[in-house]
Amino acid sequence: MHSLIQLSIAVLLLPLLSFVILIFFNRRLPRRGDFIGVGILGATFGLSAYIFWTVIVQHYDPAFRVAWDFTWIDFGNVPGVGPLVIKMGIVIDNLTAIMLAMVTLISFLVHLYSTGYMKGDKHYGRFFAYLGIFTFSMLGIVLADNLFAIYIFWELVGLSSYLLIGFFFEKESAADAQKKAFLANRVGDIGMWLGILILYSQFHTFSYHEIFGHLAAGEFGMSHAWLTAAGILLFMGCVGKSAQFPLHVWLPDAMEGPTPVSALIHAATMVAAGVYFVARIFVLLTPEALYVISFVGAFTAFMAATIAITQHDIKRVLAYSTVSQLGYMVLGLGVGAYSAAIFHLVTHAFFKACLFLGSGAIIHAMHHEQDMRWMGGLRKNMPWTFVTFSVATLALAGLPLSSGFMSKDAILAGAIGFAQAEGGGIYYLVPFLGFISALMTAFYMGRQIWLVFFGESRTHLKPAAPDDHHAAHAHDDGHEGEHHAVHEVAWNMRLPLVILAALSIFVVYSPDPLDGGKGWFMHMIQTPATVVGETVHAEPALHMEAGESLAAGEGHEVVPGHGAAQMHAETHTEGHTFADPRQAEIGHLSHAAHNQAIMISSIMVALGIVLALVFYVFRLIDPDKTAKAIRPLYLLSFNKWYWDEIYNATVIKGSLGIARLLSWFDANIVDGVVNGVATLTRKFAFANGSFDRYAVDGMVNFTAFFVNTSGAFMKKLQTGKVQTYVVMVILALFGYFVYYFTQLVY
Amino acid sequence: MEQLTTIGINHYLTISAILFALGLYAVMTRKNAIVVLMGVELILNAANINFLAFSHYNGGMEGVMFSLFVIVLAAAEAAVALAIIINIYKIFKSVDVSSIDSMKE
Repeated sequence: MHSLIQLSIAVLLLPLLSFVILIFFNRRLPRRGDFIGVGILGATFGLSAYIFWTVIVQHYDPAFRVAWDFTWIDFGNVPGVGPLVIKMGIVIDNLTAIMLAMVTLISFLVHLYSTGYMKGDKHYGRFFAYLGIFTFSMLGIVLADNLFAIYIFWELVGLSSYLLIGFFFEKESAADAQKKAFLANRVGDIGMWLGILILYSQFHTFSYHEIFGHLAAGEFGMSHAWLTAAGILLFMGCVGKSAQFPLHVWLPDAMEGPTPVSALIHAATMVAAGVYFVARIFVLLTPEALYVISFVGAFTAFMAATIAITQHDIKRVLAYSTVSQLGYMVLGLGVGAYSAAIFHLVTHAFFKACLFLGSGAIIHAMHHEQDMRWMGGLRKNMPWTFVTFSVATLALAGLPLSSGFMSKDAILAGAIGFAQAEGGGIYYLVPFLGFISALMTAFYMGRQIWLVFFGESRTHLKPAAPDDHHAAHAHDDGHEGEHHAVHEVAWNMRLPLVILAALSIFVVYSPDPLDGGKGWFMHMIQTPATVVGETVHAEPALHMEAGESLAAGEGHEVVPGHGAAQMHAETHTEGHTFADPRQAEIGHLSHAAHNQAIMISSIMVALGIVLALVFYVFRLIDPDKTAKAIRPLYLLSFNKWYWDEIYNATVIKGSLGIARLLSWFDANIVDGVVNGVATLTRKFAFANGSFDRYAVDGMVNFTAFFVNTSGAFMKKLQTGKVQTYVVMVILALFGYFVYYFTQLVY
Repeated sequence: MEQLTTIGINHYLTISAILFALGLYAVMTRKNAIVVLMGVELILNAANINFLAFSHYNGGMEGVMFSLFVIVLAAAEAAVALAIIINIYKIFKSVDVSSIDSMKE
């Protein structure tokens, strides 16, 4: 076994150990055992960092890959299925190494942060236990080398998300939110499982590597449409987990969970798992499936951005921003900007975790006030939070010199390239929505920064209303008397903010602030060759060579900075037939569109910021009046496009209607049949009983009655008087004689 | 007429029948147990007359022997019956057969 594999097993199991220790013993440990959670996660991060160092820095090879598996369950020859063997295994490539480092780092920082944020909570120890099992499941998703394993961890992640969203389960809204999240995810997961089964039915294996190999060899027995269907079904898992358009409704509600959870799960890692999964299966997605993915992503990005503009809750703005950014990543994958999407996943994870932790610090300092209308002026009271929050905001808005700028532009360049490669028309909608979303992102983040940190404190403006946040946590930190005193948070909450903000700066990823393509990241993550391209059936042997591995070996010599797909294309033009002209073309065009994308998006971002300034800083236009002027649009955005209402009216009412119908069917038809049978049986039993009572008993009773009556009559004859008997004897004798002689005569 | 003037078997049988009927009547109607017993004697003797008559006109001695046995038997019967009657009297203080009906159902 490769030493990296051994290390990664330790990385996987350490958080589970933390969970087991804390869930059983947290009450017996000092400080409820938080030091165990933090310590173990620290060690996990250390190991992951070592793996990261070895893979990324030492090897620096785009095609790096080590894998190991073992047979987990061998069912033997299952009738009707064939040999069924389920394997478990670990694969480590660049993507895994980067994800490992990212997940463990954020998880560690969130653990550390939680020691401050969750202090004094009733279930303090349990919180760290849940964080432990979440981290374990997430690492399982990252490390898994087959679809079966990833599905198991996928569900475990869903479970931990459920537990953590409903951490304040005494609050009804939290309990509702956790159910909503779980059910919405369920819908996606069903599709994902069906997709897995389609692939399994063809290849009898769950392993990515083997499935891709078989696909590349053209062994997919069914039509192209089935492969597209499999891709879209697998993508449904991502739609649920990554909160894409039809199923996005759960993520904003998930903000009912504690803020560190929002940072870890609902911004940085779990929601990114969907994107990660699509990246893992990227090579088997057909162009048709990719169209669906890109349009879903673009629409999600646009819709969520419009909603984020009008929300008042600081966490809800960030939640919709997360949905929007996830839409970007999905869009990126859909248009074939594979490395850009992953790049955005990582940069977004850091700056969005920073934003959530920052908002957590604000909420903590404001005594659980979440409404931005009653904040303001916090930059003086909370300088650390202000600075880090601002850095992350710049990254989210996509200002130059930030990490978000590079990754977002790479995606948008990919989108332009995609639209050009597909011949324009409707496909220009994808980059168009992307740019509009970029504008809105800059606008709503500018609005948020201004409302929270600038101006004067507006706490006193808050209408005195019964507020459950206060009720739940009023006694947490014991200085509710001085309601207006807002202090900077302690070091254990500041440190994660600083680290995450530092990771949102361009130098971490690329020396050139304008082009992420020149950095190590875009070199290490390169678009893998598709296994379902147009030439699959023509040249199976070639594709076996190219396999599902990352871009082919000669790619290193190309100067880093060329688009990954372009490099891939060049590799293949050298000797063999073109592997995938579509990918190559998109790669070329994306590269060409790079400067164009930077220009347009910079204009958009600048426009967004200017608009925010006009509305909120200079007050040239009154936002309230504007809202009134475009009231229908405002209401559409404020009410989240009415998706909750639409789902209530259709899906939920429909389900309830079906449930009622079924209940009626059950009560009347099924129960009716059962009751009918029962009634019939009863009737029959009664008839049978009557027969028994009247006929059988009647005969028996009649016999008894007859015997009784005749006995009563006969006993009269027994008078006890001798002479009566004599008379009878004589009579009998006389009768006999009469009979005898009558006989004799005739 | 000759039939009536000459004493033949029919006369005996007629006497016997009359005797039997009287005996039977006594047995059936008398209340006194002793009188009933006397009726029984009449019946037995009616039978004796029959035996002797048939024996005489048949020429054998079987009927005579049979009637002797009946006489002996009648004596024994009378003894036993009287003993029973005495016991009945002891218990019921009466020999009225119509009043002794304790065997009723």
